[in-house]
Amino acid sequence: MSEVHHPSSVTVRLIGRVSAICLLVFAIAYGVGASGIEYSFASDPLGPRVFPVALAVILGLLSIWYWFSPGFAEGFPTGPLLARVLAVPVVMVVAVALFEPAGFAASIFILTLGAALIFGAPPAKALIGAVGHAALWWFVFSYLLEVYLPAGALFG
Amino acid sequence: MNSVFTKTLCGAAFAALMMSASAYAEPAKPECIAGAKPGGGFDLTCRLAANALLEATQISKPMAVTYMEGGVGAVAYNHVIAKRGSDPNVITAASSGSALLLAQGKFGQYDETAVRWLGALGADYGVLVVSADSPYKTLGELVEAYKASPEDFAIGGGGAVGSQDWMKGSLLAKAAGQDPKKMRYAALEGGGAVLTALEGGHVKVGSGDAAEMVKHHVAGKVRILAVMAAERLPGELADVPTAKEQGFDIEWPIWRGYYVGKDVSDADYEWWVNAFETASKTPEFSKEREARGLFEFTLLGKDFEDRVKADVERFKILAKEAGM
Amino acid sequence: MNLEYLWQGFAVALTWQNLLIGFVGCFIGTMVGALPAIGPINGIALLLPIAYTMGLPAESTMILLAAIYCGAEYGGRISSILLNVPGDAGAVMTALDGYPMARQGRAGEALALSGLASFVGGILGSIGLALFAPLLSGLAIGFGPAEYFVLMLFAFATLGSMVGGQPAKTLIGCVLGLMLATVGLDATSGAYRFTFNEPELGDGIEFVVLVIGLFSISEALIILEHQGRGMTVIRELGRMTAQMSDVVKSIGTTLRSSVLGFVVGVLPGTGASVSSAIAYTTAKRISDTEGTFGKGDVRGLAAPEAANNATACGAFVPMLTLGVPGSGTTAVMLGALMLYNIQPGPMLLVERPEIVGGLVASLFVGNIILLALNLPLVQIFARVLTVPNWLLVPGILVLSIVGVYSAHSSVFSIYLMMSIGLVGWLLRKAGFDMAPIILGFVLGRVMEVNLRNALAISGGELSILFSSTICNVLWCMALLVAILPLYLSRRAKRRIAAKNLAIAE
Repeated sequence: MSEVHHPSSVTVRLIGRVSAICLLVFAIAYGVGASGIEYSFASDPLGPRVFPVALAVILGLLSIWYWFSPGFAEGFPTGPLLARVLAVPVVMVVAVALFEPAGFAASIFILTLGAALIFGAPPAKALIGAVGHAALWWFVFSYLLEVYLPAGALFG
Repeated sequence: MNSVFTKTLCGAAFAALMMSASAYAEPAKPECIAGAKPGGGFDLTCRLAANALLEATQISKPMAVTYMEGGVGAVAYNHVIAKRGSDPNVITAASSGSALLLAQGKFGQYDETAVRWLGALGADYGVLVVSADSPYKTLGELVEAYKASPEDFAIGGGGAVGSQDWMKGSLLAKAAGQDPKKMRYAALEGGGAVLTALEGGHVKVGSGDAAEMVKHHVAGKVRILAVMAAERLPGELADVPTAKEQGFDIEWPIWRGYYVGKDVSDADYEWWVNAFETASKTPEFSKEREARGLFEFTLLGKDFEDRVKADVERFKILAKEAGM
Repeated sequence: MNLEYLWQGFAVALTWQNLLIGFVGCFIGTMVGALPAIGPINGIALLLPIAYTMGLPAESTMILLAAIYCGAEYGGRISSILLNVPGDAGAVMTALDGYPMARQGRAGEALALSGLASFVGGILGSIGLALFAPLLSGLAIGFGPAEYFVLMLFAFATLGSMVGGQPAKTLIGCVLGLMLATVGLDATSGAYRFTFNEPELGDGIEFVVLVIGLFSISEALIILEHQGRGMTVIRELGRMTAQMSDVVKSIGTTLRSSVLGFVVGVLPGTGASVSSAIAYTTAKRISDTEGTFGKGDVRGLAAPEAANNATACGAFVPMLTLGVPGSGTTAVMLGALMLYNIQPGPMLLVERPEIVGGLVASLFVGNIILLALNLPLVQIFARVLTVPNWLLVPGILVLSIVGVYSAHSSVFSIYLMMSIGLVGWLLRKAGFDMAPIILGFVLGRVMEVNLRNALAISGGELSILFSSTICNVLWCMALLVAILPLYLSRRAKRRIAAKNLAIAE
C-alpha cells in the first residue's frame, strides 16, 4: 500500500506545529467570542462567560504544549488520493442539496453512485449498487421504520 | 324564466356548497408541530389535541405529530411563519412559556402578532414546594423566613434565569421585599432534579408545576406550600391553599394551546376553533386532559388571542420589574 | 444486597418487543464488529437517531445499544481470525493465535472456541455488573451540584491515564469537546452562546450530529485512504465445533481473563484494547511453557476474547453508578440517555430502575442470543467480510444522513455533521483520538451547570466544593488518578535509566 503515508519525524513535527497554531488561533477566537456573550444578568456568580473564557485559556496553554511535543501523526494524503478524499464531501453536498427538492430516493441514488465510483467500483456495478441502495433504504425507512423523509418531486 | 330560476338556484346551491366546503372541510393532512423532543410538554399538548379531535370525530384520520426541537419552541415558531404561514393543515403547540419568551424577544425577530392564536385546551399552575421535613408549613412562614435571611434560601427551578420557574421564584423574593436579582437560584434539569435537590437538602425551596409535584406531595416527599391559581385546584390538591388565600397576590397559570400561520384563511381558522369547541365539550376530552395532568382551561378564538396579547404585555412588565 | 431492580429489569428485557430489539442489536453488533471498517461506536452512532426517531422508549434504546456494543465485541474476533485484521480495537490480540489456527485449517474451531470464551466473559461480566450497579445508590441523594462538579473533575482526571502516549492531544480533545458543549442556550442565565444568530444552533450542537460526524464521516474518508490493503479471507473453515480437550485446556485462562477484563472495564478510561492485551500477556506468562503462544494456542485465543467481553460489561459500572463514561462507547450511550432528557448519575438507579435493570438484564439475555448467533450462524457473518467497500461505505453515508435528518428534519444539521466530520478527519490525521472529544462534550454541560449551580447556592463561596465527605473523597480520588500514572511512568523511566547505566558500566 504505497499511497498511505508513513510520515517522517520532520513531517510529524510540521503537522504538529501547523495544528498547534490552528488550535491557538481557534482558542483566541473562541475566547474573544466568549467575552462578548450578551446577557441581562446571571443568578450565579460566574455567569455565562467565565467558563468558556477559562476553556479558551486552557486550550491556548495546551496548544503551546502540543507545539513542543507533537506526538505521532498519520500524515495527510497527497495527489490523486487527496482529490478522491475531497470528492466525498463534494458528492455529499450535492446529494444533500437535492435532498428536499428532489426527494430522498433520488438524492440517495446520486450519493451512493458518486461514492461507489470514488471508491473505485466499476461503473456498471456502481449503477446497480446505487439503484439497490436507493430502493433498499427507501423501503426500510419509509415502510419498515416509518421515518419521515422528503418524497420530493420525483416520487411524491 | 324557469331556466333563469333554475340557474340561480343552482348557483346559490353551488355557492352554499362551496362555502360549507371551505368552512367545514376538515384538513386533508392534519398535523401538529411540537417544538421539542418527544415526551416533552409540547408533545403532550399535541397529543391532547390529536386524541381529543379524533375521539370527538372532528377529524377522520389521525393527526401526525412532528417534532421540531429548538429554542424552547423558537425554531417551530420561525418555521411556521417562514414556511407554513398559509398551511391550514398545521397547528403548533404553544404554552404560556412561549408568551414569556415572546415578551423577552427570544423568538427572533417576530412578535406575538406573527401568527394566529387558535385556543388553549388546558392549564397547569405554578407551585412553591419545600421538602417534607422543612419547618415551613405555610407560604407566610416561608416568606417571613426568607425576608430574615434570603441567603439561606437557595431556590431550585427547572429553567434558566427568566424562565417560568425563575419568575415564580422571583415572585417569592418580591413578596418578601427582596431583590429578585440577588436571589440564590439554581437552574436544574427539570422537575425531577428539583425534587432530588430538595430531598438532598441542596436547595431549600423548589419552584415547579402542580401536575408534576402533586404525586411527590401525595407520596410525602415534598410539601406544596401554595398553588399559584385563582381558585383551589380539584382532586388531590383540594386542601392546598392558593397563594391568594394566604394573602399573596401571586398567580401563575401555565396554559397549553395552539397557533396557526398568519395567512390561514378565516374559514379554516374558524373550522379549527369549532372543532376544538365541539371536542372540548365531550366527556372523553376531560379524561384525555386529566390523563395529562392538566386542569380545565378552555379559551378559544378571539378570547384566546386577546389573552396571549395580554400575557405578553404582563410578562414584559414582570421581566422589567425583575431587572431582565 | 438489593437486587430487586434486576428482577424488574428482567420483566422489561423479556417483553417480546425488547427481545426482538435485543436480537436485532446483537445481529447488527456482530456484523459491525466483524467489519474491520466500522467499530461499535459507529454502529451505535448510526442506529441511535433511528431508534430515537422511531419513538422507542429509553430502556429499549439502551437495550439496543448495549446489544450492539456486546455484539461488536463478539464480532470483532471473526475478522481477526479469518482476515488477520482486527474487527475492532478489542480484537487485536485475538488475531495473534486465532489467525495461525485458521491458517492450519482450524478456522471453524477457532471461531467456536472464541465464541464460547466470549460467552463466558460476557456472562461473568454481566453478573459482576448486576452486583456492582446498586452499590452506590444509597449515596445518590447526597449528590448535589458541588458533588457532581467534583465527580466530573474526577472523570477528566482519569483521562490522564487513558491515553498515556499523547497527553497533550487527549487533553486538547477534551477541551474541544467542552467547548462544543457550550454552544447554544445557556441553561443557567438563558444567554445564547456561539449561536451566530442561527436558530438551529439555539439548543446547541446536537449529540447525534457530533457523534456521526466525528466517527462515521471521518471514518468513511479514512477507509477510502486505506483502501486496497491486501486482505485475503480464509474460506476453509474446517469443523465448526470446538474440541472438548481444547475447551478443558482453556477453561482456567478463560475464567481468569474474564475477571481481569471486568476489573479493567470498571476502571474509567481503560477499554477493551487494554484489557485484552493484559489478559493475553498474563495468559502467556502463566501458561506458555512450550512456546506455543502465537502459533495457534487455544489459550491465547480464549484469553483476549473472554477479557474484551467482560470489559464491555464492566464499562457499564461507572456509567450506570456515577454517570461517568468508562469508554468512548459508553460515553455515546450516556449521550443517548441525555437525548431522552434522562440525567445520568447516581440517581439513575433510584429514579429509573427499569432502565438500569433492563440494560443489565438484557446483557444476560443478549449474551445467550449472541452465543446462539455466533456458533451456528457464524458463516453468515464470515460472508459479510467479503462485502466490498464501494458497496458498504455509501451505505454508511446514507445512514449518517438519514440519522441526522430524521432526528431534526433539517438540512442544516446534515451540513453541520459534514463539517464536523471533515474537521474530525483532519484531527485524526494529525494523530488525535475522537473519544476524548465525545467525553468532553457529554460531561461538559453537566460540569459547567453544576459548578455554577453550586456557586449560586453558596453565593460564590468556593468552600462549598469541599463541604461534604463525598466531595472530599472525590477530590482525593481525582488527585490520585491524576498523579499515580505520572509517578509510575517516572519510576519506570528511572528503572530503565538505572538498567542502562548498569549495562554501560
